[in-house]
Amino acid sequence: MSLLSVESLSKTFQTPSGPVHALRDVSLSVERGECLAVVGESGSGKTTLANMILGILAATSGTIRFDGRELPVRRGPEHRRAIQLVQQNPLSSLNPKRSIGASVRLGLDTYGIGARSERWARVEAALEEVGLPGEMRRRGPSGLSGGQRQRVGIARALACDPELLVLDEPTSALDVLVQARVLRLLNELRAEKRLTYVFITHDLAVVRNVADRVAVFKSGELVETGETARIFTAPEHPYTRSLIGAVPVVDEDELQLRNTLAGEQ
Amino acid sequence: MSALLDIRDLRLGFKGLRGITEVLHGIDLAIAAGERVALVGESGSGKSVTARIILGLLQEARAARVSGAVEFDGRDISTMPARQRAKLRGTEMSMIFQDPTSSLNPTFTIGRQFAEVMRRRQPEMSREACDRRASEMLAEVSIPDPARVLSAYPFQLSGGMNQRVMIAMALVNHPKLLLADEPGTALDVSVQALTLRLMHDLVERHGTAVLFISHNLGVVREFADRVYVIYRGRIVEEGPTRALFDNPGHAYTRALMSAVPRITGAGLPEVPEVSDDFLAPMVRHTGGAA
Repeated sequence: MSLLSVESLSKTFQTPSGPVHALRDVSLSVERGECLAVVGESGSGKTTLANMILGILAATSGTIRFDGRELPVRRGPEHRRAIQLVQQNPLSSLNPKRSIGASVRLGLDTYGIGARSERWARVEAALEEVGLPGEMRRRGPSGLSGGQRQRVGIARALACDPELLVLDEPTSALDVLVQARVLRLLNELRAEKRLTYVFITHDLAVVRNVADRVAVFKSGELVETGETARIFTAPEHPYTRSLIGAVPVVDEDELQLRNTLAGEQ
Repeated sequence: MSALLDIRDLRLGFKGLRGITEVLHGIDLAIAAGERVALVGESGSGKSVTARIILGLLQEARAARVSGAVEFDGRDISTMPARQRAKLRGTEMSMIFQDPTSSLNPTFTIGRQFAEVMRRRQPEMSREACDRRASEMLAEVSIPDPARVLSAYPFQLSGGMNQRVMIAMALVNHPKLLLADEPGTALDVSVQALTLRLMHDLVERHGTAVLFISHNLGVVREFADRVYVIYRGRIVEEGPTRALFDNPGHAYTRALMSAVPRITGAGLPEVPEVSDDFLAPMVRHTGGAA
């Protein structure tokens, strides 16, 4: 059974200039331990999908199942704990007036995870899991680098002992050296803890190196889905090919692959 | 060689509460007329402040300490009176920013903003003449309906459209040098790829020299003839694009290159975030252009 399955999910926003179909009849599933990349440009519906998985938005129609059970919009603490978000901008996702530890601990207190007396230890353990010193919990977020902040963001999600992480462009704001290390960390954590990822990104080169499967969205519709290796050797949908064709490449092998994939019409 | 832009031993410090923080530690950088040069580096490396010094903007900041020579077209920008520097901006040199929509004025139409730019060079130009010239430029960046765009406000246009407007506006006065700071980073990849191609063709046609500032190695590889790699306020490597990408010589450049995820799925190698090797002496590629 899939950990997450989305069935005929649609979301329509009513606006003064008429209805906007942000997501149309989308069905997909994510197996436990798998990383599914959700790829698309702005307006493709990828963030709308994430918000519905997280319970931030209600679907217009369709269902989301988690571990076999239908997920309501109003969720109990167990589901909220099990599905955690890692945001794009680690700068704005941490409260500047709280210590790092307090931000990480918030979920533990909210969902009542662990005994009260053990929670600081859990916070320190979560920080150490992402490669930060445990005593960093006493510091504020202002002195941290972008990479450290994103690690704190990941630690905050991990502290709740989640099953599914929704990663919304987790490395798009990071420098390339920092990005490489955070991506490696995410790969390691997934393997170690058997986590499941819904990895939202516009960066296909990142997708190639982190995802097991890819779902390509365009204007609210799922246009192609498949194993990562297949998408990057034989993309079927013209839109997938055009996305691959727009990737900036740095070496000859990549250039050749890109031209081959984008050229086959 | 007489370069269009010749920067020698450029140093910059910012005065703060705890003394002066050094940001640039003696940068040498030259751009020939019509050449497309990239300055690539991570955040905080000093690439954007370098552009602001070339524009003569940082020299006016109170806390900034700028030293070294910045010669543009034979004149030293750093010793020039502020008013002369201001005259160069938008005429002899112009700039394109990361987010086109927020760099255009939302309260004026595109046409009016074009006229304002053109009148910096020719104050007597009539609005009709400005509109005619602006339409020509918009057609050059493949905007199909220039008249509609000229009467529109920036928020009525898409990000990609605004980016093209910015490129056209930056080039309408035939500047000798265009500074492009992370152009299109805020746009979707396919739109970014398209606008970069447009910009590439346009500057080639007009013979405009470009200083292209970016953190994205792939974009740099596609756009520039020559590349400078900057790390913590020092140039660590310089060379023709092809030579530098095929055979990076400096430890920092090599680390950057290996850290970029590839669509060929080469995996994510273990790369240090910082290393003493990154402070090794500069590597210069001589000749060997593609």
